[in-house]
Amino acid sequence: MNAMRRSSRWLIGSAGIAFTTVFFLVPFAFIFTMAAKDVNEASMLNFSWPAHFQLLENIVAVFQAHDYMLIIAFINSSILTLASVTLLVLLGSMIAFVLDRRKSRLNPLINTLVLAGLIIPPAVVPTIWVMQSVGIFKTMGGLILIEVAFGLSFTVLTMRAFIASIPREIDEAAIVDGAGPLRLFFQVIFPLLRSVVVTIVVVQSISVFNDFQNPLYFLPGDANATVQLTLFNFQSQYNTSYNLLFTNILVITIPMLVMYILFQRQIVAGMTSGAVKG
Amino acid sequence: MIRTHRPVIGLIAGMAVAGVAVSGCSAGSLGSNSGDPTSKGSVTISFLVDNSDSSMKLANAAVDAFNATNQGVVVKIDSRPGGTDGDNLVKTKLATGDMNDLLMYNSGSLMAALDPAKNLVPLTTEPFMGNVEDTFKTTVTSGGQVYGVPFGQAQGGGVLYNKKIFAKLGLSVPKTWSEFMSNNAKIKAAGIDPVIQTYGDTWSSQLFVLADFHNVIAAQPDWADKYTANQAKYADDPAIKGFQRLQQVHDAGYLNKDFASAKNSQGLQMLVKGTGAQYPMLTGVVPAYVAMSDTAAKDIGLFAQPGDDASTYGLTAWSPAGIYVPTTTTGEKLAAAKKFLAWMATPEACDAQSKAVSPSGPYMIKGSKLPDGLPTAVSDMEQFFADGNVSPALEFLSPLKGPNLEKITVEVGSGITSAADGAKRYDEDVKKQAQQLGLDGW
Repeated sequence: MNAMRRSSRWLIGSAGIAFTTVFFLVPFAFIFTMAAKDVNEASMLNFSWPAHFQLLENIVAVFQAHDYMLIIAFINSSILTLASVTLLVLLGSMIAFVLDRRKSRLNPLINTLVLAGLIIPPAVVPTIWVMQSVGIFKTMGGLILIEVAFGLSFTVLTMRAFIASIPREIDEAAIVDGAGPLRLFFQVIFPLLRSVVVTIVVVQSISVFNDFQNPLYFLPGDANATVQLTLFNFQSQYNTSYNLLFTNILVITIPMLVMYILFQRQIVAGMTSGAVKG
Repeated sequence: MIRTHRPVIGLIAGMAVAGVAVSGCSAGSLGSNSGDPTSKGSVTISFLVDNSDSSMKLANAAVDAFNATNQGVVVKIDSRPGGTDGDNLVKTKLATGDMNDLLMYNSGSLMAALDPAKNLVPLTTEPFMGNVEDTFKTTVTSGGQVYGVPFGQAQGGGVLYNKKIFAKLGLSVPKTWSEFMSNNAKIKAAGIDPVIQTYGDTWSSQLFVLADFHNVIAAQPDWADKYTANQAKYADDPAIKGFQRLQQVHDAGYLNKDFASAKNSQGLQMLVKGTGAQYPMLTGVVPAYVAMSDTAAKDIGLFAQPGDDASTYGLTAWSPAGIYVPTTTTGEKLAAAKKFLAWMATPEACDAQSKAVSPSGPYMIKGSKLPDGLPTAVSDMEQFFADGNVSPALEFLSPLKGPNLEKITVEVGSGITSAADGAKRYDEDVKKQAQQLGLDGW
């Protein structure tokens, strides 16, 4: 009986590992082998070990392409991701806190607006008109605000659900002890949000870092390129350098991969230590 | 009850936003900006080019040669993605008045879709337009005004074939469709895929229909005008033949096995390696396959898509892209842009481009010559131009090109839809576009 249960558990476990291998590692192995091939071999798009292993040459070529555009792109993408995620977490948690704790007649309206942000798709040209009239079109600050605006609804909804689970008694105890509103939020509530903050940071950094459309339309120009835009340097209708394209994919995937692996532990830790009993 | 001071929190949030917005952090240009010959008193203009390898090489060669002529104008290249994203970006930039001083974009129906009367500066009366071939001018004309100067070379659309296979099997270049099909039977009997199709890149599925246009216009010379005026349809003869031919090669089992998922580059590999014999294609791919093997330039030839009548055999040609000036370019920048265009319309500019990228067809500039030692397919194509057996593709004679053609041709070419149904659906697709453009008679 016991042996049977153990063997079935073993079966499920290995099925899980096999599933992960097929759906996550095989595509990654394909990217890796393609990135190490030369142009001709890569254009056959076969899943095979490269005849000439030239990953290093390809990486150098990808970095040198278009006047070291990739390096500029990495700097731009880092600034963009860092600034917009910081703003998102800060603004999102504050909005969520006020929305949850302070009941007012305006709440239904604000909730509708937050939901509308998720439902209504943004239109490009009118947004550019607005940005032009304010004078922030084609600036990094403008693009950061765009990313914050598009990510805020999701952040507020997630944060609000979490804050609702934090007992009010904690707020009241802090107020009785003489904490002002700012102190209450930043020293008492915000540390409790750790696990949801980690979730937001991971989800939003990936979506901002991987964003293609917004940087393309709202921050055009070679000096403003973000990493996703560099992918287009290597593909065209008639002549695509698949080896460089895949090398580029490999290079720009790594930061997100590293971040995910690092934060993976944080998420688990945050889940357990941040849990509060009501 | 909790009381949070709303003004205080609002102030902090406002400060955070303002801080980022004001600092407007942007990374400057890091790389070695080649030379930067900005001398005092010169005007710098920017030129938007799609970032495909060949366009960038052509543009860089032309711009470097132009900047070296020192006319007090410095041109800088800015790149954009290709494909649908690039199209959207160009239209967005034009709509918001944010376009660069010069832009490179397709000619023909795609240029007409940019609303040239509103967005582009007419160049009809400029003296340098005299150097441009009239065939090109018709493809950048809209409402009686000419808007562009050619960028790069014309392309031919026909069938690329492996000459070694043809020599080995004793085949000759087909002049009629029935010769083409009997060649295919012999190639298949020899164990080689007669026709390569690559629907992994859907655009490549349209060639049998689009490159058949010379045969359509040979059968009915005013077909394009009637088509624009809603009097001729793809569902009727002679235009439906393109769809039927696409269906025939599939039904006869002449395609490579992986036609449904193969990519353009894989198709070229098959052709170069000789596992496939013929590939309906545009000559724009010539640089791509020449790089694949040392002998490919010599081994691959081109013939036009054969029709029913050997006496009207000829090639369908694609006009090169154009360089346009948006209406947002004014004053000294406009004058500078025109100087650059005037130089682009000279044979020297063509030579500079030939040095950078091996040409895949003739230039549309009077007096320009192609260098010697070109790949066989390009010289085959030149022969059609020299003989005058060339018709422009439909997209240069009519503003109508339905956006779903490549999806429909994939269906017909894969045997999912019949030629008759496919042609009918394409006519429906075109109808929508004609109504959007507000053409008469729809």
